[in-house]
Amino acid sequence: MKAPGRPAVSAQTLVSAVFRLRELGIGIALLLTVVLFSVRATNFATVSNWQDIASDVAVVIVVAVGETMVVLTRNIDLSVGSIAGLSAYLSAETLSTHHGVPIVVMALIAVGVGLAAGLVNGLLVAVGRIPAIIATLATLSIYRGLVFQATGGDYVFPNELPQSFQNLAAEKPLGLPFLAWVALGVALVGGAVLRWAPWARDFYAIGSSPEAARLVAVPVVRRVITAFAISGALAGLGGFMFAVRFANVDTNTARGFEFDVITAVVIGGVNVFGGSGTILGVTLGALLVATIDNGFTLLKFSEFWKIFFEGTAIVVAVTLDALLKGRVQDALRRRRRPASIPREQEAPA
Amino acid sequence: MSPVVGLARRAIVRWEALLVVMILAAGVWSWTLSSFFLRRANLLDLATPYIFIGLVAFGLTFVVVAGEIDISVMSIMAVAAVSIAEIWSAGVDVWLAALAGLGVAVVLGLANGLLVGLLDVPSLAVTLGTLAAYRGLAYVILGGSSISGLPTGFTDVGGGYISNELPDALLVLLAFALVLGVLLHATRFGRYLYAIGSTREVARFSGIPVARVRVTIFAISGLMAGFAAIVYLGFFGSVQADAASGSELIDVVTAVVLGGVDIFGGSGSILGVLLALILIAVLRNGMQLANLGGATQDMVIGGLLVAAILAGNVLRGAQSRGLPWTRARYARKEVTQAETPGVHSSGT
Repeated sequence: MKAPGRPAVSAQTLVSAVFRLRELGIGIALLLTVVLFSVRATNFATVSNWQDIASDVAVVIVVAVGETMVVLTRNIDLSVGSIAGLSAYLSAETLSTHHGVPIVVMALIAVGVGLAAGLVNGLLVAVGRIPAIIATLATLSIYRGLVFQATGGDYVFPNELPQSFQNLAAEKPLGLPFLAWVALGVALVGGAVLRWAPWARDFYAIGSSPEAARLVAVPVVRRVITAFAISGALAGLGGFMFAVRFANVDTNTARGFEFDVITAVVIGGVNVFGGSGTILGVTLGALLVATIDNGFTLLKFSEFWKIFFEGTAIVVAVTLDALLKGRVQDALRRRRRPASIPREQEAPA
Repeated sequence: MSPVVGLARRAIVRWEALLVVMILAAGVWSWTLSSFFLRRANLLDLATPYIFIGLVAFGLTFVVVAGEIDISVMSIMAVAAVSIAEIWSAGVDVWLAALAGLGVAVVLGLANGLLVGLLDVPSLAVTLGTLAAYRGLAYVILGGSSISGLPTGFTDVGGGYISNELPDALLVLLAFALVLGVLLHATRFGRYLYAIGSTREVARFSGIPVARVRVTIFAISGLMAGFAAIVYLGFFGSVQADAASGSELIDVVTAVVLGGVDIFGGSGSILGVLLALILIAVLRNGMQLANLGGATQDMVIGGLLVAAILAGNVLRGAQSRGLPWTRARYARKEVTQAETPGVHSSGT
């Protein structure tokens, strides 16, 4: 006689094993890419190139942490590129005309602008019940329109910005670029919140089954608004980081950036059906995409392949998710049955 | 049953009537901006820049009615347009090239459809990926250059005029509206889409070949993007890999949703989409007369998209529960009907 409890436990370990496998898989892929590029591209394995990658990936990671929260609730935020563009321009423009504004205050304003834009997204989706993909497709266009209204087609050039702001991108405490420290901080806080904060655990519940979450009294509307607000706020911070990194800001800043972010999130193992995914996976996913991108540039592949590669990666990742989901469900079903049948047979005896 | 159908029908009739009223209002506004607006030549030519948008929107209508979404349509159109131009510039007859372009478009649509219909990957995730992948494909095919100088016999489809006044493209649009309207509203295949869009499980249990139909709608969407590519090439006379990568997708989705197609599937008509397209054309024309820039226009269209879905949601809520202030009256009615069976069928 088998103990009835045991199969159920092993089914749970199976599920967690599958998700561990995902992070391990991305880690191994990352390692392989690094080795491959180190061998093929002579200037890949240099400290300065890795610092470059770290600065590039930092912006993606910050915005991807917010996007992760939205995707966990079974939604999507396509407007992050436009929000980042808006806050990048407002930050750069304000600093170029008011050199006295402290940089921290400016960063907070950028976050505030993003937060407001994210709140609008959240309200449209959660209260207006507009499918997230349509609502944020519309706000992608609307926020980009706001960038045009704000800039009137103007540029902000690096030499207009205060010296302290220009120096920020080059600062490397402990050898790691300043932007990478910001990303590390955001990823750690985001990861901790998603792991331990009860309200953030609700994101997983909502994504697994919105209906079940509602029935166990999860405040679904409020949580979805929160997720979009965080995504907007971090996109705002990402826009500020864009301004720091490139110092050259115009109406097209961060256009199409949402695809870099979504690729990182989806490759990083956040399920597009919602309900599963970790910040560690997303960080590894962002690193993988940035590394491949960097290697492509060093190996002088055409830039045009990058878009094709990103799109294909999204399709492959979501297809794997769909297949995996079917597998896991089948496995769970098979493993539960022997646990319940013997109990019914034993009952009369 | 029948009061529900009656109510739904009245709502649809009202929606399309509302669109006509909005078109007239936008027309009057445009007329106050410039008396040139009401010239016959301008009225006929109004929609010409948006014909390719309309053709893509017709294809997307089939997808959305069945409860799915395809946001890769503009990228498919770009790949088709780029392929046609590239094959033609290699010395092949332009009409053969167009045929090949249609084939490419169908294959790309089919790829979406197979992932959605057979592997059950959510369509928004698939087409979000292929939106980028297909755009990348267009870049890979054509690079950063552009192709122009296609033969006039071919470009007339999108940019030619009959007796200098009636655009050929308008006739193309109306012909497709007619054919696709019949396919959607008067064939078994069309009815399948509404059934699948309403409740997929029930449709499957009713013996509808759900998987096959879901694959087919994405192929149709791809094919229409292919036809749109031909019109696009004719209207603009040249093509680059970044063709229609801006606000065009929003215009397409807005035309479909504003046309009364339920974004959650199960209802909508080709006539509504056609009217919504005309409304967008009149509005953009008016905004140009008012000297509003492209970005401002895009904001207005984006706002219109959001407003259309919000209005649809409110309408649907009103249909199922009644408006807040009429809820009590509806509840009373239901009680009366339940007490006197048979009344409700003759009531509407």
